[in-house]
Amino acid sequence: MPKIVVDGVSYEVAEGRTILQALDDLGVLMNGVDIPHYCWHPKLTIDGSCRLCQVEVEGIPKLQIACNTLVTEGMVIHTQSERVRKAREGVMELLLINHPLDCPICDQAGECKLQDYAFEYGVPHARTREPRRAAKKRVDLGPTIVFDQERCILCRRCVRFCREVPGTGELAVFQRGDRSTIETAPGQPLDNDYSMNVADICPVGALTTKDFRFKIRVWFLEELPGVCTGCANGCNVYMGVANNRVYRYVARRNDEVNQTWICDDGRLSYKRIGAEDRIDGHALQAPDGRRQQLSFDAAIAQAAAALRGVIERKGPGAIGAIASPHATNEDLFVLRRFLEALGSSQAGFTVPTWRADALLRKPEAAANGAGCRALGFGDAAPLLERVRGGAVAGLVVLGHDLLATFGPSVLETLRTLDALVLLDSHRSELEGLAQVVFAARVPAEKHGTLTNHAGRVQRVVPAVEPPFEAQAEGEILWRLAQALELPGFAGEWDPYAVSRELAAAEPAFTGCDLDSLPSEGAPLRGARID
Amino acid sequence: MQKAPYVTSYLTEHTGDDAFATLDGYRARGGWEAARRALTEMSPDQVIELVKSSGLQGRGGAGFSTGLKWSFMPKGADKPKYLVCNADESEPGSFKDRLLLERAPHQILEGILIGAWATGAEKTFVYVRGEYAYPAAVLQRAIDECYQAGILGPSCLGTGFRHDVVITRGAGAYICGEETGLLESLEGKKGQPRKKPPFPAQFGAFGMPTTVNNVETFSHVPHIVRKGAEWFRGFGTEKSPGTTIFGVSGHVRRPGLYELPLGTRLDEIVFQHAGGPPEGRKVKGVIPGGMSMPILPASQLDVPMANEFLRERKTMLGTGGVMVMDDTTCMVRVGCVITYFFRDESCGQCTQCREGTGWLHKLMQRIERGAGTLEDLELMLDVAGKMEGQTICAFADAAAWPVQGLLRHFREDFEAHVKHGKCPFPESFEL
Amino acid sequence: MVISAELRARIDAEIAKYPQKRGALLAALHWVQREQKCIPAEAVQELAEIFEIRPIEVLEVVTFYNMFSTEKQGRHEVRVCTNLPCSLRGARQLLKELEQHLGIEAGETTPDGRITLGHEECLGACAWAPMMRVDETYHENLDVEQARRILDALE
Repeated sequence: MPKIVVDGVSYEVAEGRTILQALDDLGVLMNGVDIPHYCWHPKLTIDGSCRLCQVEVEGIPKLQIACNTLVTEGMVIHTQSERVRKAREGVMELLLINHPLDCPICDQAGECKLQDYAFEYGVPHARTREPRRAAKKRVDLGPTIVFDQERCILCRRCVRFCREVPGTGELAVFQRGDRSTIETAPGQPLDNDYSMNVADICPVGALTTKDFRFKIRVWFLEELPGVCTGCANGCNVYMGVANNRVYRYVARRNDEVNQTWICDDGRLSYKRIGAEDRIDGHALQAPDGRRQQLSFDAAIAQAAAALRGVIERKGPGAIGAIASPHATNEDLFVLRRFLEALGSSQAGFTVPTWRADALLRKPEAAANGAGCRALGFGDAAPLLERVRGGAVAGLVVLGHDLLATFGPSVLETLRTLDALVLLDSHRSELEGLAQVVFAARVPAEKHGTLTNHAGRVQRVVPAVEPPFEAQAEGEILWRLAQALELPGFAGEWDPYAVSRELAAAEPAFTGCDLDSLPSEGAPLRGARID
Repeated sequence: MQKAPYVTSYLTEHTGDDAFATLDGYRARGGWEAARRALTEMSPDQVIELVKSSGLQGRGGAGFSTGLKWSFMPKGADKPKYLVCNADESEPGSFKDRLLLERAPHQILEGILIGAWATGAEKTFVYVRGEYAYPAAVLQRAIDECYQAGILGPSCLGTGFRHDVVITRGAGAYICGEETGLLESLEGKKGQPRKKPPFPAQFGAFGMPTTVNNVETFSHVPHIVRKGAEWFRGFGTEKSPGTTIFGVSGHVRRPGLYELPLGTRLDEIVFQHAGGPPEGRKVKGVIPGGMSMPILPASQLDVPMANEFLRERKTMLGTGGVMVMDDTTCMVRVGCVITYFFRDESCGQCTQCREGTGWLHKLMQRIERGAGTLEDLELMLDVAGKMEGQTICAFADAAAWPVQGLLRHFREDFEAHVKHGKCPFPESFEL
Repeated sequence: MVISAELRARIDAEIAKYPQKRGALLAALHWVQREQKCIPAEAVQELAEIFEIRPIEVLEVVTFYNMFSTEKQGRHEVRVCTNLPCSLRGARQLLKELEQHLGIEAGETTPDGRITLGHEECLGACAWAPMMRVDETYHENLDVEQARRILDALE
């Protein structure tokens, strides 16, 4: 393990790494060690063209690019010397001579690396009096991306990304010299499942997403660390929040989960939070379709009454539950305890699937199928059999995935129930069959954890408050248990307490409770998951 | 094109004879004897030592020791090794390789075969610039003759050593003369120079160990093998032995090629050999080594044409392309021609080069048309300074140096444009 | 199909000379450019298939090099070198004269599609300036009269 010295501080680094890679490995790059850069990206091949990352290496007369210089034992590096400072000024000035003065209308403003580095490392005034290069603005590059050729600094991250990550290679640099432009081939737009990542990696406002265009200035956004709930990969995101609304997801780096990427569908899944088809309040549902809005307390009372009816007539073993792979581990743990306290073992779950790929998309189109399995929930099909056979007469259903898996015939099955209590976030045909419908929160509205396909437990945080009455499934079940006078549900709903209890009850979840879980998540120990 | 330089030496003494470009004509003058001796009587390492001790430096502009370069190729045959003959000659003011291709193709091929033996290369790609269609055709004829005669192919000169030579045509991009830009172009891609490390001897053409040498460099090799390192050192200077073929152009009475020893004085080349400027004119400035090399004023032509002396005058030998400008010439217009060229030919990868060449050209144009200020002159120097020494390849240096040279020696021309708002040289060439 | 069977055979023979197919791409592009006076979109597609690369990778090469064009050129390409040694000896005046003679500007093609006129960087004929390249032939030591006659003789 070679030792290098950077600005007087000694670091032990891995063999065969470049200076930037080594410092990035240690988590100190731009976080203690200051080496600004454009074309280098930790997850793409080395380019070496922007020249901004030049540093002084003792013993080598010319400045060296940190992105392509391998570390050697005893290497002494200076990142803040006068020579380096002047070199950075030079690069910044030259990048700005042709850059359009678009900041007032450019989406990137506020998170633009050209702005940031010009401010930090550049010269304060422009010396150029020459006309700037004119090129195409507002190029419709494909279904998701708008491209401004004038703003482009030709770092070529986007070209390398398309070739190396989705492998679709839609972008290339045409011509040469200061006429170079990024282009697509005629009839072959930028169109792949990961296209919007180019907007994340573009250091400037050349590549921006159509979705976010002109929506809000980024300095109004609070970027909260969250997890995409589109599939079982659990890509890490930053949720951009303002005015109690999530405006966008951008990818958050997690080398164990999603590198620095997220698929387009996942990135756009923030729209599900504020979607039109949210169930916007608890309700009593009449068979003729009439809905009567209820307060939480009233809905709990109604649901408890419905379930109590079944328990009295047919016993607690006639109550079953369908768990949801969209609910948190804490919600699911409460559901398990609810059934245990009730004295029923009738439970199951199902997970919808979608088109997966070899990159990030996993077959299960839900974030917590693994959590369901880890907590002992099995397939829902046998449970549905028992509903059809009459052994199960009352069902607490979380979510409406039954429809996706079993098709509309499941409605017939569910119609035979004496009592159906639905806890769900988005509308579906199941609503019409339920006596009581509870509006459930989505992960971006609560505290909790999710388990991804590889058994990694990750935290979710409440980014927004729903603009209507809604509770976490765990809270709903907690209160329902209290209403049914089940033992072990004393006190107020507290996801942290439940999380601690879960970790204590399930050895696999050791260290995965909300108090202990680190920001990059942690894996389950051993596990009852696939 | 001339059949032979006005002054010849060992490289070009027979180029006046059309037959010298044919196998029979070349053999009749002792051609292919050196290759036969190298392949049958010398080991590869002995050849490398010989070339090293001769002091031969690359004639493509960089002047790196050829023997040393050959020694960088890995020994052993676990992967294929390649030679590349750089026939991309695009440096403005240079046209010597063209003569060697058209009039002495076998001499080049003999040097290539000797180099192949020395480095263990199995194939040579001769990268000829796209516009040299005729020289490429002449070389191809010579290659075909060699295959027919068993000089090249599966058993060169009957020795069992296999070597093939393939011509690859460029397509019009000066940057493909840069070693790794050439390799990229050879592989069918854009000619964008590569980051170094890795170096071509480790990772070259198609990922294999490769050595790139200039046409003229290869041409010297058979003579060194035939007559020895001592003989070679009899020409030129101690640090820069051998001859080179100077190309003289511009305002001289006898523009053309001159094969002379390195170290010949620039004024001797311009006045004695090329006849000096036209009647009634005086020399104003001379670019000594192709357009990338800084200009020298008329007062500094007493310099021996070898790097160790030219460096002291802040210029270099480059490709020996001597461009003479007389006293009708406006150096600002010269600056416009030069900066246009570098702006056009930049591959565009590195920030300093892509943006700097553009800025220099725009500044130069504005000064030329009379809209410049004295601050602009300092700005040009500052921009040129910011381009130097910080890029993937030396193109940015090549683009910066001429501007520095022009301002170093001809600031008056620039100041005149600024002060008078127009060109003070009515007889100068137009833009 | 833009690439005929004969041309395909020539391309295949060229490919055989290289350890990787793509080494023959520039040669193939030269042949297409010579036949078609440009690299048309269909040829881009066909070449992409032959060389097993993406069409955009063909296009980025076409746009990088001076000798290939996506726009159709005239039957004859006439390029006057306007680099320094040639400019010192009147190359730019020559180009202007030829522009007038043909009635087009540098960069344009005559309406009858006969000649595309342009400038070029150093062609390696500096001592015999001014000069021009007409297709694959150099014409050196030109005066305006000679140059005009050469152009007039082109079909």
